Amino acid sequence: MSLSLFWLQGGGCGGDSMGLLSLDAPNLFEHLGLNDINLLWHPSLSNAGPHQYEQLVEELATGRQPLDILCVEGAVIRGPSGTGMYDTHCRQPKKNLIAKLAKQAKYVVAVGTCASFGGIGGDGEAEATGLQFHKRDKGGFLGADFTSGSGLPVVNLPGCPCHPEIIIGTLASLIGPWPLPLNDYNSPLQWYGMLVHQGCIRNEYHEYRVEEADFGKRGCLFFHLGCQGPLTHGPCNKLRWNGRNSKTAVGVPCMGCTDPEFPKQHPFFATRNIAGIPIDLPEGLDRAHYLAYKGMAAAAAPERLLTRKTRV
Amino acid sequence: MATQILNIPLNRVEGDLEISVAMDGNKVTNAWSSGLMYRGIENILRGRSAMDGLVITPRVCGICTTSHLTAAVLALDAACGAVVPDDAIRMRNLTLLAEQVQSDVRHAFLMFNVDLANPAHADKPFYQEARRRYQPFQGETVIETVRQSAKLVEIIAIVGGQWPHSSFMVPGGLASAPSTGDLLQCTMLIKQFRKWYEQRVLGCSLERWQEIKSLQDLDDWLAEHENHRRGEVGFFLASARAAGLDKLGGGHDHFLSYGAFDLPKKTSVAPLLADATRLVPAGFLRDGQRHDFDQEQIREEIKYSWYEGNDGGLHPADGETRPYATGAEGEKYSWAKAPRYLGVPAETGPLAERLIAGDPLITDLKKELGATVLTRQFARLTRPATMLPIMSQWIAETDPNGLYYQAPPPLENCEGFGLTQVPRGALGHWLQIRDGKIARYQIITPTAWNGSPRGDSDLRGPWEEALIGATVKDLENPVELGHIVRSFDACLVCTVHSVQCGNKRRQPGVRIKV
Repeated sequence: MSLSLFWLQGGGCGGDSMGLLSLDAPNLFEHLGLNDINLLWHPSLSNAGPHQYEQLVEELATGRQPLDILCVEGAVIRGPSGTGMYDTHCRQPKKNLIAKLAKQAKYVVAVGTCASFGGIGGDGEAEATGLQFHKRDKGGFLGADFTSGSGLPVVNLPGCPCHPEIIIGTLASLIGPWPLPLNDYNSPLQWYGMLVHQGCIRNEYHEYRVEEADFGKRGCLFFHLGCQGPLTHGPCNKLRWNGRNSKTAVGVPCMGCTDPEFPKQHPFFATRNIAGIPIDLPEGLDRAHYLAYKGMAAAAAPERLLTRKTRV
Repeated sequence: MATQILNIPLNRVEGDLEISVAMDGNKVTNAWSSGLMYRGIENILRGRSAMDGLVITPRVCGICTTSHLTAAVLALDAACGAVVPDDAIRMRNLTLLAEQVQSDVRHAFLMFNVDLANPAHADKPFYQEARRRYQPFQGETVIETVRQSAKLVEIIAIVGGQWPHSSFMVPGGLASAPSTGDLLQCTMLIKQFRKWYEQRVLGCSLERWQEIKSLQDLDDWLAEHENHRRGEVGFFLASARAAGLDKLGGGHDHFLSYGAFDLPKKTSVAPLLADATRLVPAGFLRDGQRHDFDQEQIREEIKYSWYEGNDGGLHPADGETRPYATGAEGEKYSWAKAPRYLGVPAETGPLAERLIAGDPLITDLKKELGATVLTRQFARLTRPATMLPIMSQWIAETDPNGLYYQAPPPLENCEGFGLTQVPRGALGHWLQIRDGKIARYQIITPTAWNGSPRGDSDLRGPWEEALIGATVKDLENPVELGHIVRSFDACLVCTVHSVQCGNKRRQPGVRIKV
């Protein structure tokens, strides 16, 4: 049974699509074939003219043609003043189209942090919001009680961009034998039940509190350089990116891009701390124990880490 | 025949674009271009920490994310006076070039050439073969392009952690140093891509390709071997001529390049224009004359744009973005600002930068065929032939034990700008820092130049101008207009301050929906 998929871009950068195009072995097109997904429309790839597009949207919006999966990439833009006219298609606010198609779809998938939680424009003039969350608050554009035809809420796949394997995996799971349990933000635990910190190749430096205060070195980025890896849910260091690497591996702090509050207002490249200890501790830790542990760990740090001899 | 206005939403560009054209019968007599989205990125940056543009601005655009990172870091380097070590310059250049080549081939085979497989061309000799190559999701070249371009951006992931959207360039260099193993992997990825580009795109070796210096040479090369005609370049030339793309889509004859790719102090790579300070030279070409480029001469005008503020245009260092969101009509017809150089619109992109660099083949093509769709797209399709060997050269010069970061002076109270050439042309970031926070951030993207509306002097933007005089055979399927606008490689998500055009137009005429 083939599943129909409509890919809609709202207020975003197209980065999730670009990530998908960068999948290798199998690549995007192979994946679609293997999972028997019929991509009805993708704005960057499809060849249908404007007339055919209008017809397709009309058929889907009225339910004459069934829509299995609606993927939305980019935020729902509501500005200025709730009109949505900062993001339009054919002179209508794009948000109207999102509402119409979401009503018909069997599954609705928010691809990326913008579509999930509002993302980059969430605090700005664009009045951007997510499909079913605005940052941490349930509601968003479609409302807290929204469910798609399947009975599921919007499935959120945050990340800026979302890791392409998560997108493909989620689509494949819809026809697969195994359900995908979701977390409190309706994101699959499979990929968001772990921290970016897990699998980071700088972990040993972190373990012994060998921390860097500036770029260009091999140590951990958590205490001073703003790394949010120990607080951020995502599989960056398990799946790796482009089959190769991750940001923290090359000394770029995790920006917490899967977090409902991304982008947070405080500086990206600095860790807020009290007496040299981060205010935001790794998930689930209490301050007193963490202080004691880190003090002892630092004292036990081996020479090869202190001299940054161990490569990353 | 009465004038009618045709509104055409255009896909297969990055982001949303709507073109309105006035038609006299089948001829375009006037044109208006509107981006359809406003995300307010520049204003989001105000008040944030000095370096936060390194994280926010790559998110302006998913296909040229390393490009925005580059402009952002150059602006910060300039603002604080950072000294960037040679090896860091090489890696910055390498990654930006990887993104550029990726974009050039994806644009050519996933976005532009798809129009050759449009049923409007069903009677042309190339149509069946174009379908075999470029049908979305299935075409042979489409599938190969997806595979090869994904491998190429692995270079950016190796150096920068991931693609898209990393922030691995920091003032003073890179966040970390690549290892010997990393450099070896990058070397192999370029070799592998180059092999594909030679076999599939050129149909000959890069060395043979580089002997072509004129249109005559190009025609001789085509006649020389079947592989040359069968390659993507040869097939494009034959199809483009058969489709009349050599007579479509001219412009103002003004071209702009900011220049790009700082040369390391020690390098065997020569600038493309002798004595230029960067690999790709900066310049302004007007009526065939090259002039030095001076960023002071840039203004963003808003006469026809829905913004409040200064009439007469502001330099981006003094620029402001104040959307005038009343819904009022009037002569303003678009929310895109209109960047102007010396008061005039300018085309930017591979054609502009190669003309300004004095590339003999591109210069001759432009002389013989004009700045048409064919010339513009040819300049993009064959740009990787120049850049791939340079990428290899820069990697080979890199020392894995070298210096990749040198701590910069603090970013407290300072100003700077970062100018570079990116896949679609000239990109600039201008920023002002006060007490360690961003007080002003202004971005002018290539698509802001190419897709701009009219400015103070009432001159049309480059692709508006390029549409004038085009003949549209079938108003229900205006593929000719797609050819023209896509030859500029439109990227609307980048048009950071473009918003929906008005619902009504002043121009008389009938609006028909297509």
